[in-house]
Amino acid sequence: MDYIIQTVISALSFGSFYALGALGIGLLFSVLRLINFAHGDFITIGGFALIVPSSAVVATVLIGGFHPVLLVICVVAIVIIVALLSYFLVFQHVQNSSPATMMIVSFALGYTLQNIILMIYGGRPKAVNIFPELTGQVQISDGVSVQILQLVIIAVTWILLIALVLFLRRTKVGVQMRAAAEDFRMARMLGVNGKSVIALAFILSGLLAGIMALLFVTQTGVLTFRMGTPIMLFFFIATVIGGMGSLVGAVVGGYAVGIVSVVLAAVLPGDIRIFRDALVFLIVIIILLGRPQGLVLTKSAKDRV
Amino acid sequence: MLLSVDNITVHYSRLPALREVSVFVDEGEIVCIVGPNGAGKSTTLLSISGVLNPTSGDITFDGKRINGMSPEAVARAGISQVPEGRHVFTTLNVEENLRIGTSIRQDRSDIEKDFKKVLEIFPVLAERRKQAAGKLSGGEQQMLVIGRALLTSPRIMTIDEPSLGLAPNLVDRVYETLLELRKDRGLTLLIVEQSSERALKSADRLYVLRSGQMQLEGNVADLQDGEKVRQAYFGFEESTTDDDEVAF
Repeated sequence: MDYIIQTVISALSFGSFYALGALGIGLLFSVLRLINFAHGDFITIGGFALIVPSSAVVATVLIGGFHPVLLVICVVAIVIIVALLSYFLVFQHVQNSSPATMMIVSFALGYTLQNIILMIYGGRPKAVNIFPELTGQVQISDGVSVQILQLVIIAVTWILLIALVLFLRRTKVGVQMRAAAEDFRMARMLGVNGKSVIALAFILSGLLAGIMALLFVTQTGVLTFRMGTPIMLFFFIATVIGGMGSLVGAVVGGYAVGIVSVVLAAVLPGDIRIFRDALVFLIVIIILLGRPQGLVLTKSAKDRV
Repeated sequence: MLLSVDNITVHYSRLPALREVSVFVDEGEIVCIVGPNGAGKSTTLLSISGVLNPTSGDITFDGKRINGMSPEAVARAGISQVPEGRHVFTTLNVEENLRIGTSIRQDRSDIEKDFKKVLEIFPVLAERRKQAAGKLSGGEQQMLVIGRALLTSPRIMTIDEPSLGLAPNLVDRVYETLLELRKDRGLTLLIVEQSSERALKSADRLYVLRSGQMQLEGNVADLQDGEKVRQAYFGFEESTTDDDEVAF
């Protein structure tokens, strides 16, 4: 029984993390038809922002030593600035190109960001310890204890999801963003400013990436210049499974991928466990064979003019 | 002259879709552009709205040059387009769709007044205020997009084939509404139509566009026998309509 509860919490927490990642990608895809493979590197930048820029072997905390509130604000702000810069310096100039072109540009941006980090911080992994109190265990009933951080990830995710839903439904710009996501050209013809809607999507995407950077680094305690790449792959898969262009789909896809990975890790016998990711991808292929449009259907799957 | 399209040429990749086309609209007029499929009618409207960029020629609105401006800037200048195929935001509800039309406006109290007025003109939209726009019938969606365009408080509204996909009695209804809007609010209208009969019935002036070139323009009063319009529409020497599929 303990094991089951622990597995469930762990699955939900993984799922939440992937859902946030998929949402960051889905937001940009919905208004711009951009699959942003640099999203994982935004998270990496959020992590490296915690320490003093230097290639020294032992990392010195900079923002990582701030008061927790200030720490969160600084990291999130830095990632938002990086996301906005990547729009104005890079994506804005290719936004009328095909989705394939934009995707390749995002790969290029991702590599560039990774190499900038490599140049400044060096290639060696660096240990960083933030929010150490969160990595402890908490007892939720007799003999069942789970990591506090897992509960925090789930809670943070749901707070962000609810805030995002309220923003998209209740605010004027939120409604404009939904309209632009469905029919970008029509929204512009009604006077919705296309550039600010896209910039807003980058801000939201950066906000999510910044928070994820904090959660991720708290969990792993290590910074490497390529740490965004493997998780980005899972976010992308989650977005595809959920159905490109649907934010609900991104969340559903994120949870699906997270839960499947954790459950496989729990039930697979030890020898096969190392092939877990391969099995996750196999399941993805099977899902997509049955539902190539993804789990959640969208009206706006068509291309924009 | 409120809107003037002066000798514009528009290319899709390298093929010309419009060749030196000119259209003008005076304040308070209803002007129709008619022509067969692929004549370049929608291209003309999309160029006015800043979605397409003419390779040569000028578009001026209220004395200001507007070609090269973004679609949102054109909308802000006072031109509102109802494009072909209606384009309601299906996942937004009726009220949200209408509110998008007010994005460009700051005059808050007037917005609320106009909002109420639009619901009075189209009572069906008031009834379905909270329903997803995708669930409306074709006719209701047409009302919604016209109402939405009205809420941008335009000086001229351009409409691409308001009759497309609607039953004949609904088409009558749409045109009645448009004529009333002209009468009550002095709205200027530039309408693209496939049916020349409809245009002869409702417009003040008429243009016939075929193969990306202007064939005829004139006052509807002078064209009532319809013969000239028909000839311009189908081409002169030809008895068949071979020439219709063009330009794209």
